Amino acid sequence: MSVSNDDSMSPQSQLSSHFFGDLLDSIIVDVASECHRIARLGLDRQLEKEEEELRLSTQARVNVADLGNSGETNSKYVVDIFGQTHPSVASEIFECMNCGRSIVAGRFAPHLEKCMGKGRKARVKATRSSTAAQNRYSRGSPVATNSPYSNSTGTNRLLNGTPGIAGEEYSNSVIEEP
Amino acid sequence: MATRTAAFYTNPLPCKHLEDYKLKHGLNGYRSLQKFLRATLNGRTSVKMSEYLIARCISCNGSQGRIFLCLVCSSFSCSTHILLHARSKISHDIAVDIERSELYCCMCNDQVYDPDFDRVVVSKIIMDMPSKTLTLEDNTRRSSKRRKLNSAVDLDLKKIEQLALSKDGRAKSCYPPGLRGLNNLGNTCFMNSVLQALVHAPPFKNYFLSDRHDRETCGKRSSDRLCLTCNMDAIVLSMFSGDRTPYNPAQFLYSCWRHSTNLASYEQQDAHEFFISVLDAIHENDRNEGSSNEENSGLEGRKAFIDWVFSGMLRSDLICMTCGFTSSTYDPFLDMSLDLNTTPVNLADRSITSKESTRRSTLLGCLDLFTMPEKLGSDEKLYCENCKEKRASLKQMSVRRLPLVLSLHIKRFEHSAVRKLSRKIDWHLPFPFTLDMTPYLSSSIISSRIGNRMFSFDSDEKDTAEFEIFAVITHSGRLESGHYVTYLRLRNQWYKCDDAWITEVDEEIVRASECYMLFYAR
Repeated sequence: MSVSNDDSMSPQSQLSSHFFGDLLDSIIVDVASECHRIARLGLDRQLEKEEEELRLSTQARVNVADLGNSGETNSKYVVDIFGQTHPSVASEIFECMNCGRSIVAGRFAPHLEKCMGKGRKARVKATRSSTAAQNRYSRGSPVATNSPYSNSTGTNRLLNGTPGIAGEEYSNSVIEEP
Repeated sequence: MATRTAAFYTNPLPCKHLEDYKLKHGLNGYRSLQKFLRATLNGRTSVKMSEYLIARCISCNGSQGRIFLCLVCSSFSCSTHILLHARSKISHDIAVDIERSELYCCMCNDQVYDPDFDRVVVSKIIMDMPSKTLTLEDNTRRSSKRRKLNSAVDLDLKKIEQLALSKDGRAKSCYPPGLRGLNNLGNTCFMNSVLQALVHAPPFKNYFLSDRHDRETCGKRSSDRLCLTCNMDAIVLSMFSGDRTPYNPAQFLYSCWRHSTNLASYEQQDAHEFFISVLDAIHENDRNEGSSNEENSGLEGRKAFIDWVFSGMLRSDLICMTCGFTSSTYDPFLDMSLDLNTTPVNLADRSITSKESTRRSTLLGCLDLFTMPEKLGSDEKLYCENCKEKRASLKQMSVRRLPLVLSLHIKRFEHSAVRKLSRKIDWHLPFPFTLDMTPYLSSSIISSRIGNRMFSFDSDEKDTAEFEIFAVITHSGRLESGHYVTYLRLRNQWYKCDDAWITEVDEEIVRASECYMLFYAR
């Protein structure tokens, strides 16, 4: 309540206003005292560090943006530090330890999936997804297998569509070898 | 009760007046005050001399504002007249703010601090608390054993590094050993990114490089030849072999899929989930192996090496809001999953500066959020042993013991129950290269609950709580599809490990990246 003039207030208002003032003062001193202690005992070092962290990272982001965001693009046609270049799909060939066939490295995972009988039709239901994400402390986020990240509900399965398609975005189109 | 200098506070130097007071009166003043101290639940302690009478200033008889109790003559003065009192009597310099139990130097006109005083205050608080609330536990001797093992293993590593460098002409010894690309076997960037981080975790790689896992004896024991630890051993040795052509972690993938059938599919997966599954598998393996392993030296009690590297201990306190009774439980952890603060900040509400509104969206902010006291909902009332009924409670987490390698996972997804959608949160999260975990330790958290008094609580930490970052796993893209890349810091240079491609990058690129998992080592 806004008070302009003491005289215009009733004794009750004056009194409550007075109490309010006292309470407010007390709270202000509380905060001041706590902050004083924190500052003197050096407990606010984190704050300085955090500000430093923010400053460095904002600066970094600006600089990186200036450079044309070279950090995050897929640098597939670049020479690495050892002077090597690699094709976007790993072309080395080795033997599958399940069936013995010779497989191209970049196609190994899809081959292995079929080879081990873990294709879409044969997939075992995720056991981890049933544990609640509402654990007091969750160690590893229990996720359904379909999406890279998800919470525990099964609804995420719907979003992802077929796994094969999701994969397409990253590696070149995969032609399943029997 | 002996006080150790805890790492989390700096003991400020006493002013001349406080020093003189201590010389003259020692702890007598504090001790005689102790019986009048009363702790309140919000961490504040007050001085209450009488149950019925209000303290009044001897000069003006007022009782408003700050009232000080002179520690020499036990008279009360208000803030206006305290100076008068100090000037009129010789060396009545030190007083106590009775509302807050804080020392005040009248001559310096400032609040002052004394660990001895805080100790007296804290002892009273502990005495008064419902039984067994604050535990003052002894240090275990585990930390010193760990350090011994650490140094022994470090020596071995130097030998291995020399060996690795001299082996292969292609070693390109100007680059750090162990740096080697990993071929993507088909959507396996999640695996590659985790492997890069693991292989470069100092204690983890040292374990394998010092030949602590004997593939010979292991292979014989396990009939179906499925041993992820053996596979990991093979990977580490291959990475450090000096060969710089990209490695194919095919055998590892095969073993992983055989171990965790639910993750066995050709599709993009979560790196964090994979990380946990690998650690679990190796841990399981370790236990099954039993104690008949040759290299038992130094690991008394056969602590699984995964635990030794990654395992820490969390403390969870449940505090009754009515009586302050605290029950604590301890849980081990291999990594910490941190939430991002997604609650919208209403800028129009209060005059929050822009600094504050971004406060939570830094790594330190996430850790703050993690250790913040959380009020449990009204439907989640817990039974309080002291009150003997269900009461509203607070829950607060803190770190009891830090691991050698601290793995942090940023929960970058939010799930809207209403719209049944999960969404990736792709804000940029700034993170420090040097991380001081001291404020998140149980000792600091408990201390902050009772007004930040200088006292060592429940501290299992003799080692430093300062960590240095060595690996960052970043994710770019959407929830359903994206790409993982690991940045490694070796010999103060950052390298980008993008599957088979290893390139040098500036630290700014790393700072500007969208981190998903962070790895720090002491």
